[in-house]
Amino acid sequence: MIKIDALTVRFGGIKPLDALEAQFTAPICGLIGPNGAGKTTLLNVLSGFVTPLEGTILLDEASLLKLSPRRRVNLGLRRTFQQELVVDELTAVENIQAIADHVSADYASARREVASALDFVGLSSRRNVLGRHLNLYDRRMVEIAKTLIGRPKVILMDEPGAGLNEAETEQLRRLLMEIPSTFDTQLVLIDHDADLIASVCVETLVLDFGKRLAMGPTRAVLDDPVVRHAYLGRE
Amino acid sequence: MNEMSKAAPIAALEPAGPEISPQLRAITIVVVVGLVSIVIALTCGGYWLSNFTQAYCMALAVLGCALLYGQLGLVSLCQWALVGAGGWVALRVYHYIHPPFFVTILSGGVGASVIGMIWGLPALRMRGLYLALVTLMLAAAFQSLVTVISFPVGGPGFLGQVGASGNDRINMARPIFAASDTGYFLYVAVVTVLCIFLVEAHRRSKPGRAWALIRKNEQMAAAAGVRIVFYKAWAFALSGFLAGVAGALLAGLFGQLDASAFPTTSSIVIFIGTLLGGYDVWLGAFLGGVLTRFIPALLIDLNVNTNVGFMIFGAALLFALRDPLGLGGQLTILAERLYGKFQAQRA
Repeated sequence: MIKIDALTVRFGGIKPLDALEAQFTAPICGLIGPNGAGKTTLLNVLSGFVTPLEGTILLDEASLLKLSPRRRVNLGLRRTFQQELVVDELTAVENIQAIADHVSADYASARREVASALDFVGLSSRRNVLGRHLNLYDRRMVEIAKTLIGRPKVILMDEPGAGLNEAETEQLRRLLMEIPSTFDTQLVLIDHDADLIASVCVETLVLDFGKRLAMGPTRAVLDDPVVRHAYLGRE
Repeated sequence: MNEMSKAAPIAALEPAGPEISPQLRAITIVVVVGLVSIVIALTCGGYWLSNFTQAYCMALAVLGCALLYGQLGLVSLCQWALVGAGGWVALRVYHYIHPPFFVTILSGGVGASVIGMIWGLPALRMRGLYLALVTLMLAAAFQSLVTVISFPVGGPGFLGQVGASGNDRINMARPIFAASDTGYFLYVAVVTVLCIFLVEAHRRSKPGRAWALIRKNEQMAAAAGVRIVFYKAWAFALSGFLAGVAGALLAGLFGQLDASAFPTTSSIVIFIGTLLGGYDVWLGAFLGGVLTRFIPALLIDLNVNTNVGFMIFGAALLFALRDPLGLGGQLTILAERLYGKFQAQRA
């Protein structure tokens, strides 16, 4: 569970996050908002790449803000990035092994976890294919598989469905819904696809200009006229 | 197996190439370097044998440079200075305790490794042009320093210098079984193969994967739990080790080293050799190193000013910029395609 209190980030005269209060408790939480709302900044603060001006973040009672990005990884925080970052020169399994090298308890558990993650995302038969030969969907799957290594507590996913077609998005949706129960973890999902968020996320936080616009059960949040006006551009 | 993994697989953009096992890769390294070395040992003598021995030492320096550039995208322009530093340490250790030759080489490697790691500290904050300029300045600083202190020649004190006449100079002895020029060349060839194995082992294991993540995106690497500073320092240490081994082998070739042989410009030539040969495959470093020594040696043999070599490298660099794989990369792709066809025919 992630608890955010009075979180403010300032870049010069701009405040991408302004006294943000939120609590992610559901197995799958959504994070939506218009462009520039502060979604990726929040993920960067959670990952340790942006230092906030003030505020606190707790991950299961542990304070995150004083920890380095690597310590946060050791604590169980994982993330994917907006742009998929599969290494072209490494095979699918090597891309996943690269994180297992640093987060798994030992070599045997690393092998086991990599095999399990590959099987989960459906890449077992393509484990030895180089990153540069994988299509976009497979590359997204490698990115997701990387986050499943080393008993993660919370996985932050930044637009995992970007660039995928309808059939692939449907496969992704089914996969995302299985992650919390299979890996005993929590998923925080950013995506512009409101349908994906609506069908996957139990609760959703809506940001607008760095402030919390709404938070609660996803369906109720998406039906909120204020949210529809700010995010979807219609009443 | 879950529902997802039962879904119909989505086709890859291109078919994958044939899988080449580490064992086959190792055999290829031994066969290629072995055959080339045997041909050189059987056909060359005197001048050319000495130059090819130097070329293999260059190849080790290029291997280190290619490791930094290919694995981490870091441009280091002090590689030849590290060769000199390794040679200095090896000569110092040899004249102090006269250890077995292989230990002398290792001492040169370890010495340059430590220096390389310290010189690599700026890289923790810098990249690209700034790092290149800082490392170039370090190479210039080494040139100035070694011109003043010179290389140890068996004299007293830490610097190991002798009187102005130089009559008391002591040469570093080669191993007994490699005392002849041909024997020493083959010895250097074996060390070259071992160093290529060392780099390949790194590239295909935990450090290589960590370097690949760092090169792709440092934030992503940090989010994967990679200790970025540690692995960058490791790369600089390994690159320095290779340069140091090269310096120690050069000391063994000539018996002693001359300060004038370590100009700053040679570090730039090493980097050009890295680009010409190709930085992503071992063959690129090997060919790049050999070319950077072979061309000047050929010009000297033809009685042409060696500065023409810079013009040749400059022209070749124009082609290298169009093809970042380099000569070694192109040959590797060709070999892999032939291997793929051979495998297909066998199947």
